Amino acid sequence: MLTLLILMPFLCALGVFLPVSKDFRLKLFLVVSLCHGLIVASFWKQLPPGEYHGFLVLDSLGLIVLSIISFLFSSVSVFMIGYFKNEPRSNRVFTACLLFLLSTMSLVAVSYHFGLLWVAIEATTLFSAPLISYHRNQQSLEATWRYLLVCSVGIALALLGTFFLAIAAHNVHTLLLPALLKGASSLSTNWMKLSIIFFIVGYGCKMGLAPTHSWKPEAYGQATGMVAVLMAGALTQCPFLALIRISQICNRAGLTEFYSSILIVSGLLSLIVPAMFILGERNIKRAFAYSSIEHMGILVLGLGLGTVGLFGALFHMINNALAKVIMFLTAGSVAQKYGSSGADEVKGVIHIYPMTGVFLIAALLAGTGVFPFATFHSELLILNAAIISKHYFLAAIGVICLAFMFIGIGRIVLGVIHGHPKEPVLAKKENIYMNAAIVVTVMLLISIGLWMPLPLEKLIHNAVTLIGAVYGTV
Amino acid sequence: MTSWVDASCIIIVFLSLIVLSNYRVAAMIRVFSVQSFVLGLLPFFLHASSISNQDVFIAFVTMVLKAVLVPSILFWAIRHVSMRSEVKPIIGFSSSIIFGAMLIAGVFWVSLSLKLPGKPVSDLILPCSLSTVLLGFMIMVTRTRAVTQVLGYLIMENGIFLFAVSLSDVMPVLIEMGILLDIFVAVFIMAIVVNHINEEFEKNTASVSQSKMGETF
Repeated sequence: MLTLLILMPFLCALGVFLPVSKDFRLKLFLVVSLCHGLIVASFWKQLPPGEYHGFLVLDSLGLIVLSIISFLFSSVSVFMIGYFKNEPRSNRVFTACLLFLLSTMSLVAVSYHFGLLWVAIEATTLFSAPLISYHRNQQSLEATWRYLLVCSVGIALALLGTFFLAIAAHNVHTLLLPALLKGASSLSTNWMKLSIIFFIVGYGCKMGLAPTHSWKPEAYGQATGMVAVLMAGALTQCPFLALIRISQICNRAGLTEFYSSILIVSGLLSLIVPAMFILGERNIKRAFAYSSIEHMGILVLGLGLGTVGLFGALFHMINNALAKVIMFLTAGSVAQKYGSSGADEVKGVIHIYPMTGVFLIAALLAGTGVFPFATFHSELLILNAAIISKHYFLAAIGVICLAFMFIGIGRIVLGVIHGHPKEPVLAKKENIYMNAAIVVTVMLLISIGLWMPLPLEKLIHNAVTLIGAVYGTV
Repeated sequence: MTSWVDASCIIIVFLSLIVLSNYRVAAMIRVFSVQSFVLGLLPFFLHASSISNQDVFIAFVTMVLKAVLVPSILFWAIRHVSMRSEVKPIIGFSSSIIFGAMLIAGVFWVSLSLKLPGKPVSDLILPCSLSTVLLGFMIMVTRTRAVTQVLGYLIMENGIFLFAVSLSDVMPVLIEMGILLDIFVAVFIMAIVVNHINEEFEKNTASVSQSKMGETF
């Protein structure tokens, strides 16, 4: 089953290069995403057995990531049908890269070997790069270049970290996760610490943690809304999964304090930096990109803060992904309607496109964590974890930064919604597919904010037990 | 065979220094190709008598990919544009050599305190690989041309691979192939992006000035 999950999108991506019509490619992408979704949904009942001598294994942690990926691709595939109705350019390379991306991301979620994990994460970088420069103008090419270079270097450092881990584990003779966990006590501490530092720098770079976040506003600002959704919601979860896997080893090897102190520092930095830059931003997509950096900071902070924080972080992974769907799909639909996402060009959305205007408000509330959106709960859980573990200062800074983000994003989004359009825009009809994808996500995010379903709670609890966090004063 | 291993390690570091101090892009690509070839030979010196089929295979693939295919892709990327030479690096060529030398000295000093577990074949592998990584990093941040930045990235990868050959038993062949393939695809995509950037640049500046063509990117 796991092989099927990875191979199906891969083969279909190759099929896209055959001479088929534009519509057929969109439908193929929709069908593949929905099939992927169905297979993943069947895993919620029963986890599949491992494959290839334990190299591909799906555990509850992987299932969370896999479900996020699957949902995001399904909603994007619905949105795309509407988007490409008004887009004259060919979508061959675009769809092929999306399918390759789906395949490699699924591989990340199920790989149980650190080398394989690295290969898969690097592959996600490569297949997402051509997606950013879809419009192929100078700015988008520059953004692609920056993304490719910064992330490749970051990932190269993570490869060095992987080799250091191999040295630390020279008694274990393998980089398979179960073997590493079993032999955790025999790992060489110094080499382990060195490898942890390289892992955090490398995979943190791919996640967009400050101070290696510089590619993020550029890339998300230039990419179309759909690509930004997949990058901010799903692609960033892949390196985060790698960081969680490392925390699994650290918890067994008695390096928890060392690891969590680094995580807390880098999480704090990623909270402060976007809060500083957001107030000067004049572009919706770039503002949302800063919000994404902020959320990555929150995730990493949660991972560093003991069991309660961990539960919050895993819950926040899901909420952040859903919020990003609302934010970037709406931004993408605005950008297509106005031909720009700059706050100076886009005005009076709610007068011309009432639905999109409402979605923008939902995006603001979901992205900044306002009740009843579930982002509120997970952020509260992580702040709570900071207070329980007596990091009062940290909690205070966190609240202040979140307030700054709310003001910054609110200023841009409200300015865009109200105000008078510069010149009367000929209102095109809103597209039902584009709106449906956003409405479903809004409803989902609100409903898990109001009531958490039992299977989800069980899954997150299982994942927390799997990570084996025994640290903090919880 | 230890002396051969030591010699290749030192050659690899020297070749990175040569790339750092060079300003002709074509020459830099050729030097990189030689460096990758030496890297490919290393497993034969390391496991001289008892080399396994796996190691031979990986060494062969490394040589073909990094010493032949990747350089030819890079030559393809620079074929149109007048980007035969690096224009204005952020740090001058002579000062980069001095900085580079200082970096190498620093790395050798630091790696005195890093002990590889087990009995390593050569004490030079660790410091040499770390110096190559840092030199590659330095090429990347101090050069302004897209192709030279790619070369910096590749030299960095070579440094990491130098480290990896000393621990061949942890990575299964298939995954090692995956790593090589990833790097190959990375260079391929980077070359395509460089090409697009050049095209876009020519479109925009054709009427303004011919001399600025290909600068910065």
